[in-house]
Amino acid sequence: MKHPSEEILALHAGGDLGWVARWKTARHLANCARCAAEVAANARFRETLPELNQTPEVPWNRIAAEMRANIRLGLAAGECVRPSGRPLRDSPLFTGARATLALASVLALMATGLMLEGPAPRMARPDEPVVQATVDGIQRRWGDQGFGLMHSGASSVTYTVGAQGTLGARYTDPETGNVTMTKVYVE
Amino acid sequence: MKTLAAAMVFLGAASLAAQDAAIPPGAVNINLPDNSPLALKSFSMADSRAMARGAALALDLHMSATLVNNGSRRIHGVTLRVVAQEVTLGGKGSVTYPSLNVGPGESFQVRIDMQLMRPSQVIGAPLVQVDLDGVLFQDLSFFGPDRLNSRRTMTACEMEAQRDREYFKRILAQAGKGGLQRAMLESMARQSEVSQLAVSVKRSGRAVTSAAIGAEHEAEFAFLQFPDSPVEPVKGSARISGNEARTPLIEVRNKSNRPVKYVEMGWIVSDPSGKQYMAGSLPSADSDLILPPGQSARLLQETTLNFSAKGQPVNVRKMVGFVNQVEFADGKIWVPNRQNLDNAHLLNVLPASAEEQRLTDLYRKHGPDALVAELSKF
Repeated sequence: MKHPSEEILALHAGGDLGWVARWKTARHLANCARCAAEVAANARFRETLPELNQTPEVPWNRIAAEMRANIRLGLAAGECVRPSGRPLRDSPLFTGARATLALASVLALMATGLMLEGPAPRMARPDEPVVQATVDGIQRRWGDQGFGLMHSGASSVTYTVGAQGTLGARYTDPETGNVTMTKVYVE
Repeated sequence: MKTLAAAMVFLGAASLAAQDAAIPPGAVNINLPDNSPLALKSFSMADSRAMARGAALALDLHMSATLVNNGSRRIHGVTLRVVAQEVTLGGKGSVTYPSLNVGPGESFQVRIDMQLMRPSQVIGAPLVQVDLDGVLFQDLSFFGPDRLNSRRTMTACEMEAQRDREYFKRILAQAGKGGLQRAMLESMARQSEVSQLAVSVKRSGRAVTSAAIGAEHEAEFAFLQFPDSPVEPVKGSARISGNEARTPLIEVRNKSNRPVKYVEMGWIVSDPSGKQYMAGSLPSADSDLILPPGQSARLLQETTLNFSAKGQPVNVRKMVGFVNQVEFADGKIWVPNRQNLDNAHLLNVLPASAEEQRLTDLYRKHGPDALVAELSKF
């Protein structure tokens, strides 16, 4: 069995694959426990990086509408500069500036679509360190680096924030029974 | 300094090229000073793994240690400083175990779970350095370098613990075991009803981008006054924009006759529906503040806090401040008493103290007899 590459599995976990690749990968995962486990591990990993999931939705319909409007505007502009004495029905459909404009618009549409749908993962990269709570811990994030103190398995976790740039968590450790207070620092 | 567990380990690129590799115990240095009242009895890093995730490296560390009290005094709190500077630039944290009661010769278990992530593989050096930052004893004396102000933190916890134990012991004396049970049930109900905010903190500028951000404006704090507080808030404000609060500033006055070196204000925010949340605390700067009697000082932090709850932004409508902690120049700590908190309805907004949390956990798991026995130890 030929397995998808590690990059493909990582992109699949983040929902960043195009639909064809996604369908092919999903078919493979249905029959391959090893790759399915890898995808699950990637998904868990993403949970520790909440901002990966905070990429704003791309407004596809609005972009498409704007591009259609631009094409219409271009065609209308071409119509305005057309010599008035020449009847429209006499001009061939795709010639000269009109054909160039239409072709350029189509190419621009395709290039934009490829760029936005491309397989590069979209990672938010905070330009300054941030401390924040995750699903089961507290962490300091700065760019690609993360430092987290976890409280997996603990219930009733209380978070405390210091305006000087700290985030703390307090919980009863389910194994030792000790009240435990963790803290991470922005600086 | 004596290195007790382990040595430098070389986790080279070759060993981590594999997708998933175990991390050996030597990857963590635990340093306890020679004259430390604590000694390391055992240490384990079972199930600790390094995982390649694309171009990034994720380290999952599960540390478990047994520490023994080698001193002659009872230990009531321990703080460990955890640094992963070689793996994540600026990665620093602390793990505190308050509400301990460990006698001479007795041992106790501690656990530290960590997740580290960096874009490339580790070439050398220990992954994590764990140092003792402080030990608090029953008589409130302290041992340790105190680089993270753990003395103040643990002493304040101990003051709250003494306050809350006294409260429950008084109920036991006045209303018996039945009264204590009712108080425990009330406390558990209160703890479950306290609303929590998810807050992200950034040093300056705006925090995480949010759709709720609008025009920024200056909002004033309202204050709760405690009659016996040595410090009183005078005025305060913060820059508010939707669910973000920036550069909080509060002016306080020392109304006691003793010099004060640290003040911490509690900070409550209300959303548009009037629901109140404990947003955080506003401490005076770490550099030593000396506030003589009758004098005023300003608590200012150049940070931005972003508030949300259940994944939704929480817009700030009102802000309330109260004095949460005061440290005098001689190291003595003041915390609000239960009457103050109850009168100001703060018990329904603030999380329970570490000790109240421990006592209610004990009651929940082992019943009223175990709780009565525990209270009788103090």
